[in-house]
Amino acid sequence: MKVAYKDLLNLLSKKPSKDSLSKKLFQLGHEHEVNGDIFDMELTPNRGDCLSLIGLARDLGVFFDAPKAFDLYTDTIETLELDFENLSPLDCPKISFLEIEVNESKFEYQPYLKSYINLIGNKKTNLFTDISNFVSYELGQPTHCFDRQSINKKLIFENKKCNTAFQTLLGTEINLKDRNCVFSLDNEIISLAGVMGGFSTACSTKTTKVLVECAYFNPESIIGQSIKYNLVSDAAHKFERGVDIDAQEHALRRFAKVVQDHAEIKSIKLKTFSMGVFQNLTIPIDIGGINKILGTNFKKDECLSYLRGLGFGVSNKIKVPAYRHDIKTNNDLAEEIARVVGYNNIASSSINLHKIVDPNRNEKVTKIESLLTSHGFSEVINFPFTSNKETKSINIDNPLDKNRKNLRISLKDSLVDNLLYNERRQKDSIKLFELSTIYTKDTKINQQIRLGIIVSGRLANNYNDFSKKLDYKYLNKILNDNLCTNIFEINEIPRNTLPTKKKDKILYVEVSLEDIPDTIFSSIESNKKVIDFVSFKPVSEYPSSKRDFSFLIKDLNKVDEVINILDSASGEIIKNLFIFDFYKDNKKSSVKLGCRFIFQSNYKTLSDAEINEKALEIINPIIEIDGVSIPGL
Amino acid sequence: MSILDNIIPPSVINERGTLHPINQTKNYLLELLAEMGFKEIHGPEIETEEFNFDMLNIKKSHPARQMHDTFYAEGKKNVLRTHTSPVQIRSMLESKPPIAFTSAGKVYRKDDDATHLPMFHQVEGIYIDEVVTFANLKDIIHQILHKLFGDNVEIRFRPSYFPFTEPSAEVDILSEKGKWLEILGCGIVNPVVLKNCKIDPNKFSGLAFGLGVERIAMLKYGVDDIREFYKSNLDFLTQFK
Repeated sequence: MKVAYKDLLNLLSKKPSKDSLSKKLFQLGHEHEVNGDIFDMELTPNRGDCLSLIGLARDLGVFFDAPKAFDLYTDTIETLELDFENLSPLDCPKISFLEIEVNESKFEYQPYLKSYINLIGNKKTNLFTDISNFVSYELGQPTHCFDRQSINKKLIFENKKCNTAFQTLLGTEINLKDRNCVFSLDNEIISLAGVMGGFSTACSTKTTKVLVECAYFNPESIIGQSIKYNLVSDAAHKFERGVDIDAQEHALRRFAKVVQDHAEIKSIKLKTFSMGVFQNLTIPIDIGGINKILGTNFKKDECLSYLRGLGFGVSNKIKVPAYRHDIKTNNDLAEEIARVVGYNNIASSSINLHKIVDPNRNEKVTKIESLLTSHGFSEVINFPFTSNKETKSINIDNPLDKNRKNLRISLKDSLVDNLLYNERRQKDSIKLFELSTIYTKDTKINQQIRLGIIVSGRLANNYNDFSKKLDYKYLNKILNDNLCTNIFEINEIPRNTLPTKKKDKILYVEVSLEDIPDTIFSSIESNKKVIDFVSFKPVSEYPSSKRDFSFLIKDLNKVDEVINILDSASGEIIKNLFIFDFYKDNKKSSVKLGCRFIFQSNYKTLSDAEINEKALEIINPIIEIDGVSIPGL
Repeated sequence: MSILDNIIPPSVINERGTLHPINQTKNYLLELLAEMGFKEIHGPEIETEEFNFDMLNIKKSHPARQMHDTFYAEGKKNVLRTHTSPVQIRSMLESKPPIAFTSAGKVYRKDDDATHLPMFHQVEGIYIDEVVTFANLKDIIHQILHKLFGDNVEIRFRPSYFPFTEPSAEVDILSEKGKWLEILGCGIVNPVVLKNCKIDPNKFSGLAFGLGVERIAMLKYGVDDIREFYKSNLDFLTQFK
């Protein structure tokens, strides 16, 4: 909700600076951004009463004195004779109608109305609709304007089952479905109550006689309606959060005053249909209770003056204003006091809980994680949604899209996707695992924590393992041999079913955590890592390039020097560097050392020239060493 | 013996793998809270409306219960939990105060854009005893944030709204760039929730707080885009060894 700083200032007795106003709004819990002279408010859903100028001014009044009242139409208003029936008073316990006729249809807008339209960014439509929006901005009470000539039959409010097309006043056609609160004329729906009026009864620039509807709708009757029909409705936003049940006639008198500022009123009539007298809630005064909640020692007079400042009635009880739907208990009042004092001004009070010693917490999980990470496996976390539907799948009633309609019943597809994703990113040694809960259904919903492991490619990027592949033997040794068990069933996932041209075997294991006996991990130590929150470096989206160099070292005293140069090689575009071959040639009394450089930029695709330049920068100092060469270079 | 036998080959470094940075952060938070006295409890990710909403004083009219915010499953009988609070509700029903629990894990909201994901992680804590005050809550939050961001971090409490706490607060820290960053939500447990859990609100009171694990991980590691955590990109994951 956008609010102009100057409008707030006009309402407050004291005149705070923009900065001071902003700080106090934060202190009161009203998050916002300040853009020039506009406060863009982001209010919590319990504070529907603050969705207006007067609402914010009422809260700010505790710091800057009570807000001034708006000018109202004060003349006597005749009673309106209206053929109206409320068939659903639970949805709408109070509703007022104002009928106004003016002499002309062309108007020069007063500066305050022009300013509202300009500053808040609403589009100018017609006088009555613009006044309706303006009054809602000032008071938080939505109104709806029917062109009076179009209300020519009995007007009915009801909550009815619908299956009909409805054209909104903006011209959008929607299909009303299920139950809706509506206004209708002889079974023709003319307004989706509390959300948006209809096209057939809307005002235009030619309208001179208007019927203004001003209601209190039960929030539960309106909630979800604008989303259901994809309508943007300020009225629904306010009704959903609750408006002031005492404010309808007040809002209509303000409406009439603004009309009066713009045109000569020919006739004016008003009628309220109310389902009873609404009593303000009262709460016994319990300052001791408030201090007990807050951990403070506030004096009674201090607390009561804060509550008065916020608009509460104070006598032998606290009388809650009708617009404060969020206040029901002493905890709510404690929050009111704390808001005025400032949460940051309430002193902390130390509290010490008993330390928990729980050495068995997740020990099995910790040991699995230690085993796998010590062998180079990286953990992934996947979303559980899938398009695959199995008999046991849990169905999502309202999925994000058709590809995410079910919950996965296995970790396999996710891990295969992860593997292929990394292969496409030129990774040639991939070891991944995931520990997640899988949900399935039969007669009830079942849950099971599963461990999924997937491998493919080279065993490792070092000269011992570079030419070896991740295979059954490797995985079996880690999982079954080390643990003296056969519970980890290793399966090959055939490549021919996957969108990939790679040939390396893909091996996969999935096992339920509860099927892994606690005892098999007795030989594994839990390596609890001390987290150090390393600073993350952005991942490049550009392709990497590799260069392999084979050094022949005839002067054996220079082997260490070569290795040291390679170990210390660094640069912005050097992604990785490892020795993939180290061979001692006894016959020639020399050493052959193969080294792979991987280059990648975070900012662009590297050219061959750039890669070669960097490679030469590293290898030149090496080949300049006597007794070291790159054969063929 | 050949001269070559004296040549020491380059050391073979067996590259360690890594736990997912979100799980590392989650475990870090849980350990931090365990040191303060909070015991970890567990519960299901598929919940009933009763435990996910009703018991937590989230009324039928609350926007969070709408189909556009919550994933419903199996004919609207169940929800994918929208927070880990129902785990605490289940444990509170089986325990007598004083209690100090943490619940952590995956939660789900019907969001999917540059800054929101349909699944993310929370760590929540609750402490209930005979007299637990807002001043105590501030102390606990200060302890947590000082451990996470250092003793000199500037902390701001703002009033907020959660149906299950009253008073409620959101807590910000001041970044190095001078911007306030929202870190966690907290409050005094609403007496309605205590009553729902068969705990006498006239005798006991409590404090509760919740942290978004992704939010903490992004700040601590300097990751700008939440989606990076779920691409399963080894270039990303292996940075968190």
